[in-house]
Amino acid sequence: MKSVTEILEQLKAIAENPRAQKDALIASGKKVVLTAPVYTPEELVHSLGMVPMGAWGGDIELMEAKRYFPAFICSIVQSLVELGIKGVYDGVSAVIIPSLCDSLKVVGENWKYAVPNIPFLPMTYPQNRKPEYGKEFTKKGYEKLIEELEKISGETFEDGKLAQSIRIYNEHNALMRELSEVLADHPEVTAAQRSVVFKSAFFMLKEEHSKVIRELLEALKEQKPGEAKIKIMTTGILADSPSLLNIIDSNGLQIVADDVAAESRQYRTDALEDTTALDSLSGKFCAMDHCSVLYDVEKKRIDLIVETAKNHGARGVLMVLTKFCDPEEFDYPLIKKACDAAGLPIILIEVDRQMENYEQAGTMIETFKDMLGKNS
Amino acid sequence: MIYTLGIDIGSTTSKGMILKDGSDEVASSIVLAGTGTAGPKMLMEQLYEQSGLKPEDIAFTIVTGYGRKTFQEADDQLSELTCHSKGVSFLFPQVRTVIDIGGQDAKVLALNDQGKMTNFIMNDKCAAGTGRFLDVMAQILQLKIGDLEKEAEKADNPAKISSTCTVFAESEVISQLAMGVDMPNLVAGICQSVASRVAGLAKRIGIHEQVCMSGGVAQNGGVRQALQNELGVPILYSEQAQLMGALGAALYAYERVMNK
Repeated sequence: MKSVTEILEQLKAIAENPRAQKDALIASGKKVVLTAPVYTPEELVHSLGMVPMGAWGGDIELMEAKRYFPAFICSIVQSLVELGIKGVYDGVSAVIIPSLCDSLKVVGENWKYAVPNIPFLPMTYPQNRKPEYGKEFTKKGYEKLIEELEKISGETFEDGKLAQSIRIYNEHNALMRELSEVLADHPEVTAAQRSVVFKSAFFMLKEEHSKVIRELLEALKEQKPGEAKIKIMTTGILADSPSLLNIIDSNGLQIVADDVAAESRQYRTDALEDTTALDSLSGKFCAMDHCSVLYDVEKKRIDLIVETAKNHGARGVLMVLTKFCDPEEFDYPLIKKACDAAGLPIILIEVDRQMENYEQAGTMIETFKDMLGKNS
Repeated sequence: MIYTLGIDIGSTTSKGMILKDGSDEVASSIVLAGTGTAGPKMLMEQLYEQSGLKPEDIAFTIVTGYGRKTFQEADDQLSELTCHSKGVSFLFPQVRTVIDIGGQDAKVLALNDQGKMTNFIMNDKCAAGTGRFLDVMAQILQLKIGDLEKEAEKADNPAKISSTCTVFAESEVISQLAMGVDMPNLVAGICQSVASRVAGLAKRIGIHEQVCMSGGVAQNGGVRQALQNELGVPILYSEQAQLMGALGAALYAYERVMNK
């Protein structure tokens, strides 16, 4: 049996080099479809025999993308286009970009001109997803997407195959939820290592990632938990910056739970049994909640953050705010108010994809540790 | 007798303090040169000369401030926010809000009734509302930074500096000079601009009396007065405002020795 360290190194190699993963998949005869954030229906791509690959941009300097965007657009989408223009995604068959925030809505139109060699497939989600018509609208959107994906894959959509893909994705969701809980009891697994577990899932077929996660769960059972650290919870869209994670680790903090869109948020909801597999997948999106980009007048996400932090013994919450992310910015005052009321210290650190100097973030996290720990 | 040393290396100045038995000041010094300069070395020399102590007499040294990571002669390092809260609550136990404006950033700290920091906020990566803003403005006006307070006191109709960005504010000040706005009103407007920016930051974590200012900019009476007006509460101030971080570091150093 592989050790925890060996498995984490394996996942790190994948997370740090998605381009090699993409090239290897294409070389093996697979078609790869990029799935931009968030809640892109990967199951449809999977059911048509192609590989969905998460595309959340990368930590690079933005040069070419500036021709298409003003400076105040989220750097995730800007870096997505930058990588597209620079040819990093060359060879993939298409990109699916959903419509769940204002920045994402404008990416597709720019993508068509900026990266003409990779077809853009829009996925328009309804704002009101809870009523029956919301589900119907989602289903129609998926049907339109299926038509495009059929042309790209050369395959015909089959509801039975989608049902199989849904089973694989539901199983992966459950494993990722279980892993997050198990990692909370293993402080020796660093924030950087925890991040690669989630990040690697974007670049692997889910059945293959599930296999590695099962191995990791088994290995963790055999491993004695390390010395306790100061427990925190993270929230935000993306929290995978190596510099930021290094600061968290060097300050002796352990992420025991997260509400990060690129991490646990995407694994909360399973597709449930329905009339057809496509109805089931449509129902999955409509059942989703607790997210800044999903319309919710009750803002249930706020209570969930406080509840999750408390249930996991987190002594504080770190909000990693992607610069210019309006949905997260709108939620922050509510999150802060709820955390304050619950006696849960919270700090906000603003990051973007081209940030190089983490000096101020370092001082803030160090102070946060002091505040939660002994030097206060 | 136990001697402990606190060093606070900022972006523009280096500050230090030696304490005896965790309470009595033996030496303190401020050198107008910060991280990446000879400032920290000069500071150490001055502290030893002033106190008559040698490095081996110091039981524990803690370094804080922007330059803490590169200073090799300390036993440990702590963030400047942690040290400022400690230093201020030592001198003013009744303080619940600390506004610390340094050379390149501004911070607001919330303390509870035990002097424990319960919340904090820092300005964004921007010179507005910091000592750097005042430096830039003083240069444009060809004034020494220490003269800003005296000029501001003479103001009868402070100018309005509406730009929050230092670069834009620089142009705005030049425009006001060209329009003939007199020096005292311009300086008062500049102090008001810093106060307004920092007050906005402070209000985000809530103002609880008593309020104290620390850091280099606290020495500027013009900014202190403008901040009092903005917040509507009196602001405590110590002549040693700039040394609060070093004091806090020396106090933590003493705790480390006692807890060994």
